[in-house]
Amino acid sequence: MPDLFTLDAVTLDVAGRRVLDGVTDHLHEGRCTAIVGPSGSGKSTLLRLLNRLAEPTAGRVLLRGTPLPALDVTELRRRVGLVAQAPTLLTTRVAEELRVGRPDLDDAAARTLLARVALPVDLLDRGTEGLSGGEAQRLCLARALAVGPEVLLLDEPTSALDAVSADAVDAVIRDLLAEGLSVVLVSHDLDRAAGVADDVLVLRSGRLVGRGEIDDVDLDRVAFGDAEPDR
Amino acid sequence: MSPDVPGWAGVAASVALVVLAAAITWRERLGVTRELLVAALRAFVQLVAVGAVLSFLFAEAGLLGALAWLAAMVAVASVEAARRARGLPGALRTAATGIGVGTATTLGILVVLQVVDTEPRVLVPVGGMVVSGAMQVAALVLRGLRTTATTRRPAVEARLSLGLSAGDAFAPYVHETVRTALIPAIDTTKVVGLISLPGAMTGLILAGVDPLTAIRYQIVVMYMLLAAAAVTGLVTARVASRALFDDAQRLRAVPVP
Repeated sequence: MPDLFTLDAVTLDVAGRRVLDGVTDHLHEGRCTAIVGPSGSGKSTLLRLLNRLAEPTAGRVLLRGTPLPALDVTELRRRVGLVAQAPTLLTTRVAEELRVGRPDLDDAAARTLLARVALPVDLLDRGTEGLSGGEAQRLCLARALAVGPEVLLLDEPTSALDAVSADAVDAVIRDLLAEGLSVVLVSHDLDRAAGVADDVLVLRSGRLVGRGEIDDVDLDRVAFGDAEPDR
Repeated sequence: MSPDVPGWAGVAASVALVVLAAAITWRERLGVTRELLVAALRAFVQLVAVGAVLSFLFAEAGLLGALAWLAAMVAVASVEAARRARGLPGALRTAATGIGVGTATTLGILVVLQVVDTEPRVLVPVGGMVVSGAMQVAALVLRGLRTTATTRRPAVEARLSLGLSAGDAFAPYVHETVRTALIPAIDTTKVVGLISLPGAMTGLILAGVDPLTAIRYQIVVMYMLLAAAAVTGLVTARVASRALFDDAQRLRAVPVP
């Protein structure tokens, strides 16, 4: 079976600056891959390549062996959901929020989604204005799940949250993984990433400088900035 | 009918008013006497020149000349509207399309319904009012969309990431922008006659036309400006939205103003 995502010598320049430099790797099906590295290392850009919010200057990205440009882009984005770092709510009602990408979602399915992200189901009849940061982030997660993606891309899903809310989001991610969803998440917080991820990619200045199963990568070495290409 | 307007002697006599204004600024040492005199002279030269051009246009140029004049007005208005939205992809082409379609549609309907004549004497001034109204709306829409494309980028990308097409993802912001851009035209229409006596009507009254006749023209003018605003706003927003997204339904980078 082909890998979930294949990155084939992916390079991306923005305004003359090299953001990603010849990244080649494979992301595996049914696992949680964490992309870690210091800020400005190209982590979020790499994530955005996977649902074509960004396009490589050179190289290719493939989903299960098919180059992304060969797929219908709206279909791709329904299969590969993305949740941004800061929760961005698009409507004023929780129920409406869940229906942005899935207008035909019925109330029973909406309640199931809320339960899936550990939000109280009676939130469905509420407005979005009183939600805490953690609740808003989980609502964004539920909004992405409503579309029925096979893969979830999470950009620093817990960085804007307090420790309790962050733990709740991590628990939801572990549940989704247990349901068979594949997850790619970006994090600058290695300890937190280690709590949910199976695999880890380490980026520095746009280059892939390390990769492996989370237990095999020397996180202290990565954190202290002397990671070398792992060949 | 001979319009009741001042002769050249009357214009010369009105120079007394410029002298009065200049005398006040000079005596009070306001430091704007020279500027005031230059402004008065400029107004004289510009208006004589425009009068001569229009006089020639009305007498000699015919329908084609009038249309060429209108096209030139649309071009100038497009450059002006696009200048307000620097950095927006295809701003000039977008403004020209919006103002051009808005003007052509509005004037076309007036001509087809035989509300106005196709004489240059009618088409040029009426077209000028339409182009001017269309320009204001196009500028508001372009500026609004440029702001949206920068400040609402996270929301637009969140919608795109849910699998919405570029058109669907951007639609709420387009509606909001066009609605905002139409408010000045609607407000002006609401208070017309109460707060200001508009130009077309004032001109007709000064030329000796009965006010109850003059308002008929003004009503047509107000309605035509509403249509020009709506059509221009919609077309400008549609064309601008298309230019804001690339083939892979990504919002293009727009420099922050």
